[in-house]
Amino acid sequence: MTTAVVVALLVATGTWLVLRRGLLRVVVGFVLLGHGVNLLVLTAGGTDRRGFALPGQQGGGPVADPLPQAFVLTAVVIAFAVTVHLLGLLRQGQALDEDDDAEGPS
Amino acid sequence: MVAALVLLAALAAGAPLLARRLGRATGYVLSAGFLAAAGLLVALAPRVLGGGAVEASTPWLPSLGVEAALRLDGLSLVFALVALVVGALVMAYCARYLSDASARGPVLPLLTVFAAAMVGLVLADDLVLLYLFWELTTLCSFALLSSAGAKAVAPARRALVITIAGGLALLVAVVLLALAGGTTRISVLLAEPEVVLGSPLAWPVAACVLLAAMSKSAQLPLQFWLPGAMVAMTPVSAYLHAATMVKAGIYLLVRASTLFAEQTPWQVALVAVGMATALVGAVMALREHDLKGILAHSTVSQLGLLVAAIGVGTPTALGAALLHTMAHALFKATLFMLVGIIDKETGSRDIRDLSGLRRAMPWTAAATALAALSMAGVPPALGFVSKEYLYQGFVSAPGPAWVAPAAAACAVTASALTFAYSMRIVWGAFGGPDHPELYEPARSFLAPAAVAAAAGLLLGPAVSLFDPLVDAATSAALPGSVPPRIYFWHGLSTEVVLSGVTVALGSLLFWQRDRVDRALVRLRLPDAGGIFDAGHSGLLALGGRVGAGTRAPSLAAHLARPLAVVAVLGVVGAVALGGALPERTATAVPGEPVLLVVLAVALACAAVTSSAVVLVALVGLVGLVVAVRMVLVGAADVALTLLLVEVLTAVVLVLVLRGGRLHLPPVVRSAGRGAVPAGLLAVGAGTAAGLGTWALTGRRELSATGAYLLDNAEELTGGTNVVNTVLVDFRGLDTLLESVLVGVVAIGLGALTRGGPASGREVRERPDVVLRVASRVLAPLAVLASVVLLWRGHDQPGGGFIGALVAGAGVVLVHLAGTGEGAAGTGRTGRLERLTDPVLLAGAGALVAVGTALLPLVWGGALVEPFSVPGLYALGVSSALLFDLGVYALVVSLVAACVRGFGRVPAATPATAPGTTRGAERAEVVR
Amino acid sequence: MSALVLVPVVLPLVVAALLLLRRRRPGADALDRAAGVGVPLLVVVAAAVLLAATLGGRTAEASAGGWPAGVAIALVADATACLGVLLTSALTAASLVVAAGTREDREPLLVPLVLVMSAGVSGALLTTDLFNLFVFVEVMLVPSYVLVALGRRGPAGGRLYVTVNLLASTVFLAGVGLVYGTTGTVSLVELRGAAADDPAAAVAVGVMLVALAVKSAAVPLHSWLPGSYGAVGPAVAVLFSGLLTKVGVLALLRVWAVVFEGDARVAWALLAVAVLTMVVGVLSAVGEGSVRAVLTNHMVSQIGYLLVGVGLATAAGYAAALFFLVQYAVVKAALLVVSAAVEVREGTDALSRLGGLGRAEPLLAVAFAVAALGLVGVPPTSGFVAKLQLATAAAGAGSWWVLAAVVAVSLVTLVSMLKLWNGVFAGSRPEAGDPGTDGAGAATGRVPRTVLVPALALAACALVLGVWADPLLTASEAAAAQLVAGSRS
Repeated sequence: MTTAVVVALLVATGTWLVLRRGLLRVVVGFVLLGHGVNLLVLTAGGTDRRGFALPGQQGGGPVADPLPQAFVLTAVVIAFAVTVHLLGLLRQGQALDEDDDAEGPS
Repeated sequence: MVAALVLLAALAAGAPLLARRLGRATGYVLSAGFLAAAGLLVALAPRVLGGGAVEASTPWLPSLGVEAALRLDGLSLVFALVALVVGALVMAYCARYLSDASARGPVLPLLTVFAAAMVGLVLADDLVLLYLFWELTTLCSFALLSSAGAKAVAPARRALVITIAGGLALLVAVVLLALAGGTTRISVLLAEPEVVLGSPLAWPVAACVLLAAMSKSAQLPLQFWLPGAMVAMTPVSAYLHAATMVKAGIYLLVRASTLFAEQTPWQVALVAVGMATALVGAVMALREHDLKGILAHSTVSQLGLLVAAIGVGTPTALGAALLHTMAHALFKATLFMLVGIIDKETGSRDIRDLSGLRRAMPWTAAATALAALSMAGVPPALGFVSKEYLYQGFVSAPGPAWVAPAAAACAVTASALTFAYSMRIVWGAFGGPDHPELYEPARSFLAPAAVAAAAGLLLGPAVSLFDPLVDAATSAALPGSVPPRIYFWHGLSTEVVLSGVTVALGSLLFWQRDRVDRALVRLRLPDAGGIFDAGHSGLLALGGRVGAGTRAPSLAAHLARPLAVVAVLGVVGAVALGGALPERTATAVPGEPVLLVVLAVALACAAVTSSAVVLVALVGLVGLVVAVRMVLVGAADVALTLLLVEVLTAVVLVLVLRGGRLHLPPVVRSAGRGAVPAGLLAVGAGTAAGLGTWALTGRRELSATGAYLLDNAEELTGGTNVVNTVLVDFRGLDTLLESVLVGVVAIGLGALTRGGPASGREVRERPDVVLRVASRVLAPLAVLASVVLLWRGHDQPGGGFIGALVAGAGVVLVHLAGTGEGAAGTGRTGRLERLTDPVLLAGAGALVAVGTALLPLVWGGALVEPFSVPGLYALGVSSALLFDLGVYALVVSLVAACVRGFGRVPAATPATAPGTTRGAERAEVVR
Repeated sequence: MSALVLVPVVLPLVVAALLLLRRRRPGADALDRAAGVGVPLLVVVAAAVLLAATLGGRTAEASAGGWPAGVAIALVADATACLGVLLTSALTAASLVVAAGTREDREPLLVPLVLVMSAGVSGALLTTDLFNLFVFVEVMLVPSYVLVALGRRGPAGGRLYVTVNLLASTVFLAGVGLVYGTTGTVSLVELRGAAADDPAAAVAVGVMLVALAVKSAAVPLHSWLPGSYGAVGPAVAVLFSGLLTKVGVLALLRVWAVVFEGDARVAWALLAVAVLTMVVGVLSAVGEGSVRAVLTNHMVSQIGYLLVGVGLATAAGYAAALFFLVQYAVVKAALLVVSAAVEVREGTDALSRLGGLGRAEPLLAVAFAVAALGLVGVPPTSGFVAKLQLATAAAGAGSWWVLAAVVAVSLVTLVSMLKLWNGVFAGSRPEAGDPGTDGAGAATGRVPRTVLVPALALAACALVLGVWADPLLTASEAAAAQLVAGSRS
């Protein structure tokens, strides 16, 4: 239940920021959205199994589903790459001495 | 039959070449060709006139059941001959009308293509083929119209849109007919009308067919495109818009009569539309002063009579319609040609200028008079005979008692008006003052028109020649009926009386023409063309307003839409799923409530802050909380990666901030309009996400795949870090692709951040000594740690990503400390910079990763299949390590690209107060 | 055979990596061009061979890693995928040829980026694993982000493009997660018919479909398309038009056909969206004032037609959608290449500043006329056969309002094409002395051959596909049957 609330909070704040002015806020908003979705994917494996999928950890209860973790890892890296690209766009805008207002095409 | 079409096609293709050699004399060649094609068809006549048919077909689109099927029966013979004979006349006329230069242009080939299309249309025995030729004629008409220049733009547009709209109606009819009758073969469909009539689609089909015919044959209210089309050159008007293209609709209606002739709604609709058109057209013709305009409106009117006759649907009426089709084509084309001659001679097409031609151009005047008399329906011209038969058809119309007299009365009225304007033309030819400066045109110029005019006169008494043809055609349209006998003199019958009345009324109108003119001038008819144009502009304006949504300037407007849809989906999902969910097996994560509180506070602050620094810091905090939670659910590698990514993101954000403003615009602008919807949307999206998480996750047992992986990973791959084995062995393809992706961003970043004003100018504060010393110590440690992490990733937390991110941290440290650069001022590229060239690293890393993935294919394995390197296995070197090495290189390339790309500060905007002020000023101006 | 399945994905990646490493040498330009055109053509050959093999209902498969089914990621080439790969690779090659004419290939990164994009496209079409689909779509998108940013035609369009697609990708990932959460698998093969069995799974897949709808530019999620495509150079616009939305629609088709299996309860929603897309798209197009804007808005409308075929949820509907997709990609590419030619020649594509080109460039006018007729659906072009097929499928399914919409939208399409014709080719040239400064570059006064030839070739294809339509018709019907029935290896 708290998981759902965490995800809800992250997605809500992320959405709010994404819809605001300023590309920086938009980028941060996407970061938050990404966190929310990553947590969502992770819980798809089930939060009743929380053991590490590593040697020597058998004492921690049932082991967690490794597949969503791999998904999230991949997604995190991809998101990082795209975030970097977005920040590159931001820097490009700065170099052109633009008003950093996240204006779309006019 | 096929030969005729092929001949026409060949002529069309050859026309440009011929024109280059022969100039405008090509017209004669083409004329002869048309006659030859007509001859080919006439040669088949014996088989057809007895009531039979000639067929040929070949499959075209078998998957849709469409064949290219042709069929020559009496009806198609009539129309084909009309098209070809009139075409021959027009071509001969073109040989003198056109100049050599325009003969080399597109007109002649287009006219030939059009003729082929027209013949193909009437010969087509497959619905789709018919539609193809139908649209082809429309296209030819548009092309010919457009060649008239800039003044033709609007008329061409009207003509095209109206006729294509009709064509689309025909397409719907084709689709529905095929559905109702199960086939696209016209002859099959017509042979069993009950099949189509019994289907509920019959009425839509009839309506669509009628619409198509109305658009093509210029019936009310779609008739206004035809007068506008008179801007085209005269041969085009003579051929297309008088004799052939507009007759395509007539052909369609006659064919459809086989199905619908006895259905009352069909009859009523056709007669009503036809008569209305006939009357309105005739009135408009009387009002006109432009000769071509008169002829255009006259065509509309005559077509209306034809449609009405088809609507009556008796064999007599149909026969009359067919006869009148031929007669009309003949006299109308003649009149157009003569108008063209007169226009060339006198320079004017105004009927008020036309007078006293009989002295200067006697032969021309005579021909004009003959053709006009045929149009007026004066004996013994062919036009008289066909009009008689039309009257006969109307008088014997079936149905309630008032129908026949009403129809006859309308017909008489229309014909009287026709008589009136025809007489004006005759008067113009013979009456009034002379124009001695005019002269007879060359005989070859006049010949085609003269021949046609004479034919109109002679064919009247000789009309029984047409009997077998009309017979065959009527039998084809109404199988099993008794066709009318066609002969010249009927004796003193109702029709003759009606003709007499017509002549009397018409003469009266002509004699009183001044009064009539004054009355007509006061008559105001709706300007249909103007309505069309207004509609067209309205459509464009509507489009502009609809499209405004996509031109919204702010990002938020575009981003809001998917988010809104997701929120709606959340609602829908909640409603749809209701209580139909399996039991929840998930349990609470220890320590989560604390995290929740911290998170909520951090997020709230982040949502409202206006300081970029605070925002970045809060993002880092949130990332930390999320990472901790991930550890709590047993995701070790993921948490570690996330943490490192967070750190690097924060670093990049700081580097970016160095070049920009530290104060963001306020979260909620003073106007505040956008904030409420955004807030609502945020709540909606968040709720949807939360609901989705609660409802759709954590309600099932461990998945089969997950269980398989946990049980078999070590055995199959040799690694004990199951998540890592999933990444590099089981789902190596994903990892390969994401690494490539990382490399792409790396190389792109370089291109993105080069350039710009005064790039490369460094903001070079001398870095702190502590930082420099620390970097010299920590950076190599970081690299070492990264290698260790890379090495042990298969069995312990670690791996390519994590290792690379740690190495990246080292690179960042080095950059921040400035120890990797060459000595200040020398501009020498440091060794470290050369080593970490993003493009080189990305390319090399990609090759290593892809190569390792591809290698198993060499010995017949699968892509990304794990293998052990012989000899080095003892050292723990497996394909996984090699693969991870490639990944490592790619991720490091990204970090290096970041450092290079963001490390330089653009000279334009210093990150201090003056910049902020300037930014604020500009923002003021923008607002 | 399974090695052939890997070619469309692996070959471009390897060549791209090699090209990058060769960056140092001067004069690598010709090699770039050769690779850029040669590699996609090789992929076309591979796809053609695979298509011939799969038309009978069989499929070719390559599984990554050789693990058991359900664990491994499987790339499966069925007829639909082969058609898609063939089409996209051919258009990639064509767009790179055009890029040589518009000078866009002066950017050294163009060819490697395009190759990586094409690898992503092919992979997205071939994969049967939903998460892998997510990754492949990212592989397709990220190079396009870079290409848009490099275009430097105003960063605003670039931001719009990246952010909307990033949002869509995030939603897609969430969808994949939810699907895994409800069903425990991300393999399409195992998910066949899941929506009917489990409404929770249906909702999860619905989230994914929303994301795919954004990528396919379905209304109301279409607003990003015109602005973004306006921010790239003409040859890149041709590339994007041929690749990006096609992948979105094909992925949507596949997921819909496999997971929902044409569930009537949801199909009506898809049909409604499709009709709305058709109508809104064409109306937006009619109101625009520059060639590129009209054409990109039309893309939205034509995607509506595709979605109609998908939404009809019958084999006939899918077949119509597939045929339409192939011919429409060709026609749209032809139109965009013509637009590129106009931009190169005149330096602008604003209708108010153009005119009279018909006399100056008759060949170009012919290419435009044929392609425009193909878009409207007038015989004897391929567009007509496609519309006929679609109309027949709609009538056969009894969706009369869909039929009416198809016909009405065709008419408005005609009006907008007429607007373009009158604005660009008919009429007379505007007076000189009005410098075109909308960032399209200087006017060169001539149309380079590398732009004219593809335009004519593509227009000719539209004609050929219209008259000799049967091979493609049969192929699309076979592919549709495969989709509906599930494949037999």
